[in-house]
Amino acid sequence: MMSHDLTRGEGPWPWLAAGSVALSLLMLGALLVLLAGRGLGHFWPAPVALVELENGRWLAGEAVKEARLPGAEGSGTRGRERLYRTANRDLDDGIWTWVALETIADVGYPDELVVLERRRWGDFIGRLMAVERDGRPLGEGKSAWTVLQARLVELEVLRDEQARLRRKTIMPLAARLATGPDAEASRDLARANAQLRELRAEMGRDRLVLESADGRRLEQPLVEVVRAWRPNAMSPVEKLAAWGQGVWRFLAEGPRAANTAGGVWPAIFGTVLMVLLMSVLVTPFGVLAAIYLNEVAHQGRFTRLVRIAVRNLAGVPSIVYGVFGLGVFVHGIGGSLDAWFFEEALPSPTFGTGGLLWASLTLALLTLPVVIVATEEGLARIPDQQREGALALGATRLEMLTRVVLPMATPAMLTGLILAVARAAGEVAPLMLVGVAKLAPQVPVDGDFPFLHLERKFMHLGYHIFDTAFHGGDVQAALPLVYATALLLVLVILVLNLTAIFLRHHLKVRHGALPRV
Amino acid sequence: MSDPSPSLHLRQRLRRGRDHLATALITAGGIGVIAALLAIGVFLVVEVVPLFWSTPTDTGHEVSWRALWLPQSYEGYDAPQHRWQPTVTSAEERPQYGMTPLVWGTLKAAAWALVIAVPLALGAAIHSAMFMSRRLRSRIKPTLELMEALPGVVIGFIAGLVLAPWVERHLAGALALVVLLPPGVLIAGWGWTRLPVRLRRCLPLGWAGLWLVPWLLLLVAAALGLAPWLEAGWFGGDLRGWLELRLGLDYASRNAMIVGLAMGFAVMPSVYALAEDALSGVPGSLGEGAQAMGATRWQTLWKVVLPAASPGVFSAVMIGAGRAVGETMIVLMASGNTALMTLSPFDGMRSMAASIAIELPEAAFGGTHYRLLLLAALALFVFTFLVNTLAEVVRARLRHRYRRLGGAP
Amino acid sequence: MSVLVQPRSTGSGPIIDFHREASCLEIEDLSLAYGDKPALRGLTLRVPRHRVTAFIGPSGCGKSTLLRALNRLHDLNEEVSHEGKVLLEGRDIHDPEVAVAELRRRVGMVFQVPNPFPMSIYDNVAFGLRLLGGMRRRQMDDVVEWALTSAALWHEVKDRLRASAWSLSGGQQQRLVIARTLAVRPEVLLLDEPASALDPISTLKIEELIRNLKSQLTLVLVTHNMQQAARVSDYTAFLQEGELVEYGPTDTLFTNPRLRRTENYITGRMA
Repeated sequence: MMSHDLTRGEGPWPWLAAGSVALSLLMLGALLVLLAGRGLGHFWPAPVALVELENGRWLAGEAVKEARLPGAEGSGTRGRERLYRTANRDLDDGIWTWVALETIADVGYPDELVVLERRRWGDFIGRLMAVERDGRPLGEGKSAWTVLQARLVELEVLRDEQARLRRKTIMPLAARLATGPDAEASRDLARANAQLRELRAEMGRDRLVLESADGRRLEQPLVEVVRAWRPNAMSPVEKLAAWGQGVWRFLAEGPRAANTAGGVWPAIFGTVLMVLLMSVLVTPFGVLAAIYLNEVAHQGRFTRLVRIAVRNLAGVPSIVYGVFGLGVFVHGIGGSLDAWFFEEALPSPTFGTGGLLWASLTLALLTLPVVIVATEEGLARIPDQQREGALALGATRLEMLTRVVLPMATPAMLTGLILAVARAAGEVAPLMLVGVAKLAPQVPVDGDFPFLHLERKFMHLGYHIFDTAFHGGDVQAALPLVYATALLLVLVILVLNLTAIFLRHHLKVRHGALPRV
Repeated sequence: MSDPSPSLHLRQRLRRGRDHLATALITAGGIGVIAALLAIGVFLVVEVVPLFWSTPTDTGHEVSWRALWLPQSYEGYDAPQHRWQPTVTSAEERPQYGMTPLVWGTLKAAAWALVIAVPLALGAAIHSAMFMSRRLRSRIKPTLELMEALPGVVIGFIAGLVLAPWVERHLAGALALVVLLPPGVLIAGWGWTRLPVRLRRCLPLGWAGLWLVPWLLLLVAAALGLAPWLEAGWFGGDLRGWLELRLGLDYASRNAMIVGLAMGFAVMPSVYALAEDALSGVPGSLGEGAQAMGATRWQTLWKVVLPAASPGVFSAVMIGAGRAVGETMIVLMASGNTALMTLSPFDGMRSMAASIAIELPEAAFGGTHYRLLLLAALALFVFTFLVNTLAEVVRARLRHRYRRLGGAP
Repeated sequence: MSVLVQPRSTGSGPIIDFHREASCLEIEDLSLAYGDKPALRGLTLRVPRHRVTAFIGPSGCGKSTLLRALNRLHDLNEEVSHEGKVLLEGRDIHDPEVAVAELRRRVGMVFQVPNPFPMSIYDNVAFGLRLLGGMRRRQMDDVVEWALTSAALWHEVKDRLRASAWSLSGGQQQRLVIARTLAVRPEVLLLDEPASALDPISTLKIEELIRNLKSQLTLVLVTHNMQQAARVSDYTAFLQEGELVEYGPTDTLFTNPRLRRTENYITGRMA
């Protein structure tokens, strides 16, 4: 061994060890980059290509990916094909088109190509020929686009008005009528309904004349159009604005078209609500159990065994908790509740089926060990001198706990709770047994008494990923949204975990300031 | 004792009463919560026992302990078979309850996950405990902790819908990656010793975990670039066909390899964290003693640190095994869920946890199928509980030993 | 001055001649054990009122255990069992009628390591007062000021009563703990090596404080520092292996110990 070459003696093995660190980081990074890229990239308005094939066909669509033709050899463009999202399900029976690269004669990106997001049939990609009102053209050719944009803004106003009318006037009136006959109310209701019909007629007057890339014409009622944009004509700033809008709609809207379009708002809501309920359940019980184990129980062999058992329950698979939840909460307690209080609804179950309450309870049980262990660690870290100090001043045990010990253990409890929430937010398997739904038509919170409907099924981000990715019809179409949902879930969990790490660090720093001998 | 004023006296009695009440409540609540937690095991046992007691009624045939685990003869098959087919489509068919394929699938998935996770985790733990610079280590550890928090459903989605199709299309590339990465890292190490000292100081071994990442990326690119040549040269241009012809292996898109990779990725951080704790907890005096006698750091590790920490490393692997056996979503999404009993890494399988997740919502409450799935849950519960207890006991012993040796707890 | 020694062999009954002193605490044949390990064996001694009594002895001799037995701090530990009596102003503290919280208010305690609570200086001093309740804001302010003044801390902290108690130095923290204990007007103050974690200057301040406080209350001091016991205390008890070896006025015990064991210990430690 030469003196300037000390590490050479280490041999090759340390490099393999270093390589495994690097490989782990690489995999983690790749996963996050993939999620972020695909999840966020989906909302960026992709350029729409107008493709002329050698056989004279035309098509317009967004390029999605390229792949080698099966069994093909060679390099360059030979033997490769490209997937276009050509949309127009009503015209083509499908929204995807594979094109062999050799057969492409020309690719262009003309500004006039429009993409319409529609309520039915998915997107449309093609040209806007005219906007008509009651059969008379409002705008044609170049002016059609400006007219369309103006009309879309007006349409949005009308939609808001319609929604407000329904929510503010019709629903309260209908509720009043449901309680008994009321002449005034029924008159008002009739008037409101007439107003609604008027609005609807107003909204239904406009039609769009569209033309697909290969020249087929299509008449499209404007009411069904949600959004329209011309990606090739957009400046980067406009694209950024559209991107922001897309992200916002993803977060704020409900899913459409069998979860392949629209947003994930109900899933976010369901996840948050379930996690909140779970926190409300798990915190007092977890803290109570930790206080019992650490402060009250006789510190003998038995307590030590119980402590190890509780610790190990954190390692029991989540699906087992799901089984317990199904057997005890849903079938056991829920079934009995049904038999006692909801007999009139039987045989269709009220509480005897999966629902929000049972899911929260199951996850509370699942995360109980996390909270107990974290709180116990926090309690154990408080020096006994603090307890003795309080007792020596004449405090009872309760006063010692509430005035000195628990305030000092709060960061630890919070850390435990956040870790529990992070775990619960990502847990899907038990929920499959005790209460999620593919698509819950009703959010578990609404204006009807008792406002929070614990027995209802709910949507969940994690289950949404599983369901959309594995049970959806068109996986290719749903994929971008699954990526976005996964990214959202990962972000939520990362933020929660980072908070917990920060708190734990803060805790260490504070206890570091404790007077030491 | 001299009595204070009456109101103070009353207040004191009140305080005492409240204290007694609170203590009683805490005791009752604490015992209640812990009992509820431990009730999980009791519930499973109570629900499973009737399975072997009485003749089940819903299908009209008996389930015996032997029938669950031994191959049974079924109509339409010559030899006795292990089969798990609990749902029947017509009245004449009878459900087939062989638990062995599920146990097999569970263990197979867990084994492949450990094959991926253990070397990776131990390598990373060794590097960060022995070689890594302190500053980098204080960043890497929380990063890998975050990796542990990634939800299974996301990893399963990536594995099942992104990785599986990709590997299926780039089978040769994936093979090339596996073959090329370890020697590639070794080449980096060899090249490093040839570097001028100045450059080497810029790329210290303590930071290798970080600066090897671009090198790995380069290797990945190289492997993917070389793959077509490799496939053409050695496997007649078609690795899948070659596998089928030469080895008789059928390649399923979602298979044990994919599951192993995904679950290995999920399990690795927890194994890493525990193993790293065990390794870095070895009292410094031990290692310093060896190094003072002229041993290299790697020799120190191998001869002194690793033997001292081996119980901790063992318990880390145990905890990893417990997690891998119980992980549901990844297996569900990446394994294809076919109840096969093969050794081939390119076949799918069906694990107990995944079966429970899929079938339990449909199984009739209280029926044979329901109870069998609960038996699977009980098996998972007992297995993970035992494994974790073993790991915990071993770890407690180790901590005790370290304390005696005067190291950090 | 009579020699105040209680030979162990004579067993029951106080034979210390304490004519000139009224006793505040009387310990009668007190034995105490952790599980099956005895820590105190049949101790009998009287602690005179408004005096400083020091317990000295090698580590593990039971002096801290004895101190903790005086305000029943051992109640926390279920393994501890005791026999014998401790009388506070003539009443047994183990009497089931006695509220342990009230006992601990009357018998305050200061520990080896300063243990201020993680709250403001004011809240620390007011902690015990709030437990007792029934005190107005103004009144509480006055008591806090009085307690901090008695603990010779008022001038150092009067401008930052809302600051965290953990921002004080070690010596200040210990005086804060004393002030906190004084605020509830205890009759006895137990000090468990109160200066052993402090620097020499802080130690001197604490010792001065102890000497000043004996006009207000009875002090019991555990220390392993011979000079400190000699400087501060009026009476000194020497304990060894859970037994009381020798007890008497500090001057006598240090200059003219009756027993060889005491002398050996004192000269060994003093040298």
